[in-house]
Amino acid sequence: MMQLEKFSYDNKIVRDFGIATIVWGIIGMTVGLLVAMQLFKPEMNMGNQYTTFGRIRPLHTNAVIFAFVGNAIFMGVYYSLQRLLKARMFSTALSKIHFWGWQLIIVSAVITLPLGFTSSHEYAELEWPIDIAITVIWVVFGINMFGTIFKRRERHLYVAIWFYIATFVTIAVLHIVNSFQLPISFLKSYYVFAGVQDALVQWWYGHNAVAFFLTTPYLGMMYYFLPKMANRPVYSYKLSILHFWSLIFIYIWAGPHHLLYTSLPGWAQSLGVAFSIMLIAPSWGGMINGLLTLRGAWDKVREDVTLKFMVVALTAYGMATFEGPMLSLKQINAVAHFTDWIVAHVHVGALGWNGFLTFGIMYWLVPRIYKTELYSKKMASFHFWVGTLGILFYAVPMYWAGFTQGLMWKEFTQEGLLKYPNFLTTTLQIIPMHVLRGIGGALYLSGVVVMAYNLGKTMLKGSLVADETAEAMPLAPDIEETDPADKKWHRVLERKPMKFMVFSLIVILIGGMIEMMPTFTIESNIPTIASVKPYTPLELQGRDLYIKEGCVNCHTQTVRPFRSETERYGEYSKAGEYVYDHPFLWGSKRTGPDLHRLGGKYSNAWHFNHMLDPNSMSPGSIMPPYPWLITQTLDISTTEAKIKAMQTLGVPYRKGFELEANDKLKQQAEEISADLKQNNINVKSDKEIIALIAYLQRLGADIKANKSTIPSNQ
Amino acid sequence: MFKQLKDLAGGEFYLITSLIIFMVFFLIVAVYLYKMSKGHIQIMSNLPFENQQNNTDEED
Repeated sequence: MMQLEKFSYDNKIVRDFGIATIVWGIIGMTVGLLVAMQLFKPEMNMGNQYTTFGRIRPLHTNAVIFAFVGNAIFMGVYYSLQRLLKARMFSTALSKIHFWGWQLIIVSAVITLPLGFTSSHEYAELEWPIDIAITVIWVVFGINMFGTIFKRRERHLYVAIWFYIATFVTIAVLHIVNSFQLPISFLKSYYVFAGVQDALVQWWYGHNAVAFFLTTPYLGMMYYFLPKMANRPVYSYKLSILHFWSLIFIYIWAGPHHLLYTSLPGWAQSLGVAFSIMLIAPSWGGMINGLLTLRGAWDKVREDVTLKFMVVALTAYGMATFEGPMLSLKQINAVAHFTDWIVAHVHVGALGWNGFLTFGIMYWLVPRIYKTELYSKKMASFHFWVGTLGILFYAVPMYWAGFTQGLMWKEFTQEGLLKYPNFLTTTLQIIPMHVLRGIGGALYLSGVVVMAYNLGKTMLKGSLVADETAEAMPLAPDIEETDPADKKWHRVLERKPMKFMVFSLIVILIGGMIEMMPTFTIESNIPTIASVKPYTPLELQGRDLYIKEGCVNCHTQTVRPFRSETERYGEYSKAGEYVYDHPFLWGSKRTGPDLHRLGGKYSNAWHFNHMLDPNSMSPGSIMPPYPWLITQTLDISTTEAKIKAMQTLGVPYRKGFELEANDKLKQQAEEISADLKQNNINVKSDKEIIALIAYLQRLGADIKANKSTIPSNQ
Repeated sequence: MFKQLKDLAGGEFYLITSLIIFMVFFLIVAVYLYKMSKGHIQIMSNLPFENQQNNTDEED
């Protein structure tokens, strides 16, 4: 005879992750506001390299994704998992290691990114030792989650847990594959893949980080917290299952839509488009399932601020997941890509879906674990309205800016010339929109500060029920073998978590493998170009400075095959040009012009003056000045290790080249320094600026002189 | 628009294979859903509500 077991839920860990969510949310959004202001007032970089756009834009994205949303995920998972499984977390010690480990990783990001230690892959900028730490902590989270699942007192795994398991396994795969790096020093490494292949891996990762970090765990949380808040079960459990399997299957294929019109093989682009369109179905299935859960409870939405947040979150999810597939259509993408339209799209998702769902859950959860009422409903209501206004003020100007700039780039005069041949004209046109966006961001952030105060007061008013007592019957250990109903195939998955994990792993691997294998193994997918040669040692060092300063955050290096781009920049980019690019630096946003054909366009002196004061060469430019490049000495102690690493990765430097690399480097630096001197610029040849100029002058130069020998992309 | 899906210089193979794989997968999920009993659905959708506990099996 089984007896009722008494146990307790660990609320302290939920509270800790909740506080971390608020703290990092405020920090991440404040950095976001700072970078937003730099886009209309470059002086907001405070005149130093550590707070300049290229270095702290990744800090903003990492902080809001992995610190704000990350901690919110763990808060939601640790709360709901325990209750859905009727068990305390597997190990309080592992929970603590998970919590502090994750915070340490974030702190290391806050230190290393402003210092310029970056891998340059978007949303995966952290260098290799931190990547390893992330892996370890993620595994700790996995053990803790599966340990809890194994000791559960509830036989069935609710659909929310399916989403958590899929999140765990997919993020693990994405993170590991996108971290294949060859370290050359403690905080510097090169990606193993180059050019097109590196781009494919990165955007397979980047897109699925959105899918499996910003979406699936939040859907799991939605499936638990929304029924709880509305006090009624989910509208359709069947739909939730269909939603789950089709979402995780389809999402993983959609990555190449980030690379439309690039030199990625055409079939891979089309595959990305097709699956992106299909993605509307499961995404909207989830949104509709959420909204219809509130059927008959809409009167509650008027009263209950938590439900208001949830409704806006689901609506934002619906808008973003409709817009995403539309943006992946080539015709729309041709205008939208590289503009603020994408920034608007991302922020509808981030501010609306992730932000509002997090706020809704926090307003619901904090009073419960503190056994009290919310300190002020009025303040929460204020937060809701100021947050909603903030989203509108953010998104609408960004859409406007995106349409405007995207169309201006493409506009021709009747004579067939570019109407706006100077890129800067299109930038200056949208400055007012960037100011408005800043206001939107400030409104949204002010709402979060009010929430922090409100929840802080709520915590002070109540007292934390650190260990919430509960009781449940244990699972009979042998029932799974004896009960014939258990053997039904469609039951097995929701009973056997390991089988479930393996099955979802297979499901998410299919898409990635079909897209990547041919690009990696079939040579004809990346046609080589004989005139493309490895970078000189000085150019390689300059390229690493380009990476360090985060130039890729504002400048692309991929010219699309449109007349509007070949007129503006030059010959469109070919896959074979990037074969030595570890990592690829195609970028995803053109706050400034594309640089792939920059080499030879301007003199060395122009580059020097432009880096020292962009306004002197391009009046009105919003590019920040880089005076430190002129005073800082280039670190050439790394040259040998860098050349060696490149040789290991297959870049054909001849044997022994690494030993003479620094001589070659100095020789080329002297030439540039001498050329500058002729233009009355006195700068020593050992300064960083020399290496950067060497790299910028190399960009696209390989094929300029040899146009006739270049194969096309398709 | 359909040019994007048609003019792939031999790449159609990947596209068609992928769509077939998805269709097969989708059909499997559809059968799985069709075979689920109402009672089971009821139990599953009530799991977030704490007062119930299901550690025995319902009959189909």
